[in-house]
Amino acid sequence: MRWPARGELERGASPGRSADAPRERDPVFRWVQRVLLAAFLAWCLLEAQVSPAALVSPAALEGIGRLLRGLFPPDLSPRFLEVVGAAVVRTLAIGVAGTVLAILLAIPLGILATPTLFRPGAAAAGTGPGAWLLFALHLLARGLLRVFRAVPELLWALLFVVAVGLGPRAGALALGVAYAGVLGRVVADLLQDVDPSPAEVLTASGGRRESLVLFALLPQALPGLVSYGLYSLECAIRSASVLGFVGAGGLGQELQLSMRLFEYHQVSTLLLALLVLMLAGEWMSRLISRAGQSSRESGRPPLGRVQRWLVALGGFVAVILSFWGVDLLGGADTGLLGRMGRFAAQLFPPDVSLAFLGSLRVPLLQTLAVAGAGTLLGVLVAAALAPLASAGLMLRPADAPGQRGLAGWVAPPVHVAARALLALLRGIPELLWVLLCIVAVGFGPFAGVLALGLHTGGVLGRLWAESLDEASPGPLEVLEASGASASVRTLWGAWPQVRALAAGYGLLRWEFNLRVSALVGFLGGGGLGLKLYNAIQLGFYDQVSTMVLVILGLVMLSDRLSDSVRRRWLAPAALRREWKRPADPRLEIGLAS
Amino acid sequence: MTFSLRQVRRRFEGRAGPVAALDGVSLEVAPGERLVVLGPSGAGKTTLFGLLNTTLRPTEGTVQFEGKDVAGLSRRPLRAARRHIGTVFQQPRLVPSLSVRQNALLGRVGHWSLADALGAWIRPAREDLLRVDAALDAVGLRQRALARADELSGGEQQRVAIARVLVQEPTAVLADEPFSSLDPTLRDSMAELLLGVAARGRTLVAVMHDVEFALRHFPRVVGLSAGRVVFDLPKEQVTTALLERLYPRMGQEQSASTPELPDALACAR
Repeated sequence: MRWPARGELERGASPGRSADAPRERDPVFRWVQRVLLAAFLAWCLLEAQVSPAALVSPAALEGIGRLLRGLFPPDLSPRFLEVVGAAVVRTLAIGVAGTVLAILLAIPLGILATPTLFRPGAAAAGTGPGAWLLFALHLLARGLLRVFRAVPELLWALLFVVAVGLGPRAGALALGVAYAGVLGRVVADLLQDVDPSPAEVLTASGGRRESLVLFALLPQALPGLVSYGLYSLECAIRSASVLGFVGAGGLGQELQLSMRLFEYHQVSTLLLALLVLMLAGEWMSRLISRAGQSSRESGRPPLGRVQRWLVALGGFVAVILSFWGVDLLGGADTGLLGRMGRFAAQLFPPDVSLAFLGSLRVPLLQTLAVAGAGTLLGVLVAAALAPLASAGLMLRPADAPGQRGLAGWVAPPVHVAARALLALLRGIPELLWVLLCIVAVGFGPFAGVLALGLHTGGVLGRLWAESLDEASPGPLEVLEASGASASVRTLWGAWPQVRALAAGYGLLRWEFNLRVSALVGFLGGGGLGLKLYNAIQLGFYDQVSTMVLVILGLVMLSDRLSDSVRRRWLAPAALRREWKRPADPRLEIGLAS
Repeated sequence: MTFSLRQVRRRFEGRAGPVAALDGVSLEVAPGERLVVLGPSGAGKTTLFGLLNTTLRPTEGTVQFEGKDVAGLSRRPLRAARRHIGTVFQQPRLVPSLSVRQNALLGRVGHWSLADALGAWIRPAREDLLRVDAALDAVGLRQRALARADELSGGEQQRVAIARVLVQEPTAVLADEPFSSLDPTLRDSMAELLLGVAARGRTLVAVMHDVEFALRHFPRVVGLSAGRVVFDLPKEQVTTALLERLYPRMGQEQSASTPELPDALACAR
């Protein structure tokens, strides 16, 4: 889960067509650009050991065949369904408990991280040594939130598994920390952005900082906070089903177990449960956002007192049950904090010996290559499926001329099939794809490339199809009226209109894959993750902390990249098609899932 | 006959049941003929235009293009027919992110297979490029050939749209209010271009409501009102009385001293 930088869209909103600036450069420069890109991609393919031949080798075909045969029929025996049901409930519990933990952490850290409250010179900051101490705490909170955000959830989960043992408890703690990083930032942003006048009134009448926060700032920020909280609940449930791959409980752990035992008919049941959970989450968040909108716009009367109490009570019970479900309640384990502290102490100091740093070079390059090659594969998959999944290009009114032939009958089912395939590709998380691809091509970076490529293809395909649908229809009608075939219309009418936006989405997925490619190694996808996983298994915790720092650097680098991509490609394109809600985090859902 | 419409009706599903946009229209257009369709808003001009350029199918009756019944065509022969019909729309409808030259090149899309279309991204066929250069010369935009289409003014964009039709080399040209988005000073030069396109033995059918302009340039005038053909006459026989049947308010407003409209009617005499 990621967040757009502050003022990102404002900065992007500068007039002119910066999105298409590269087109104005001279052709030589463009050719150099293309050649460099091609060389980089070729290097990625080589370095990531991509070999299409390995996919159709007898061993791979046998593995795929066994997997596909094993998936049917799904294991629907009552005993196993019980296991699946329990896993789903536990996954939900991890998601809910993780979100609540995150909120509890995020509010104090977020308040501390608000510059307008603590930065020297701010009206509310005060003076004297106390103010400087608070300023130091403020900087610390900001740094902490940044690290919380930048370390991927799955890595947090792996670290917590080592610290507190296998099971859902590690998952809930990992989600709590990772999401606290994001939500804390949101709290700070919201507090900074609220209307300052009530706060000014309180300051002018000598109010203390605490009353300022409680009575002037938080009430204004509350609606935003609630909607972001709900949004992160959905993301957290999604993540919770994946964390189990490293042993942090829930559906993922069951899936991993069944895969390792070659119980493919169980895998297929679990896969179905996972897809249902993901789609239910998507549907729920759409429902919530629509409900929120309509109640605000229609001015419906707010809930009655009894209803409000019931909702609060229900929520409270759900939270308590979740905490109980992930073993964070009941004081059964008083040594928990102590163990976490001992583990944290073992991480220091990081191993920065030259010999070790040198040994990181190859896995790091491999990680970069897996990200590049995986994105390339995703782009190819998306390019093949997106036009088929675009309703605007595929579907014509039944009474339009030329609909009587074969093409008129074939197009609608092909369209539906392409959409379903895209949903399947993006519904299965990258890390689960790793497990599945290993069956076909064995351990190694190629499995990571396939996994990233298939998931990326699903996400990009949908985004591209949506962009194609939004292309202005006028030029397409002209082309159709002068006899262009559907493929020519797509290529010359629709594609030129969306290519800037499509390239932006592609680059954004690339930077997203940069951080995921460091993780696919946990499950056998090669690269830095594999080395990190081994170091953890062997207990070389000083090396672990060095690699965590390297991954942190990688993530921050890719953040920079995506910031500039958003500014240069996405924001202007979005403005051109008159985006209605520029700061909508839901864009992030499409990209992050 | 280039176009031949027999007893064509076209209904659309409205909120209160089906609405007949065209209600029994018959029309024959011979090769090389120049014809203008006049009528007030809502007369069915746009529907007629859609039927002629084969993007709409009649609810009843038949529409034939060069002897072939459009409604019965499957995709491939339909595309073959559309290749020979060039259209100029009210808005230029260029692909904004492509260059002027690429937009003009799009006149050839009807002839392209997928391989041609892919190849044209890299290097268009030589004879296509020659056609494009000639067309851009004809509309006076050769120097702007490499500019992006959305950098051009509205008038220039409409000229690119005409160049696109020139490149297409159709046997019939259809124009739907081609000048209504332009200011009057541009209109005459644009009209000259459009009539030039039609000059080489091509059929030209224009739909518009600028009476004066229509009567000046088109030998045959069809009046359309409420989905029916009110008259279909050589321009010499079009009288004020007939035009008043098309634009009933015009007669009333004439007495209420509307300056331009009497001129338009005077032109008919």
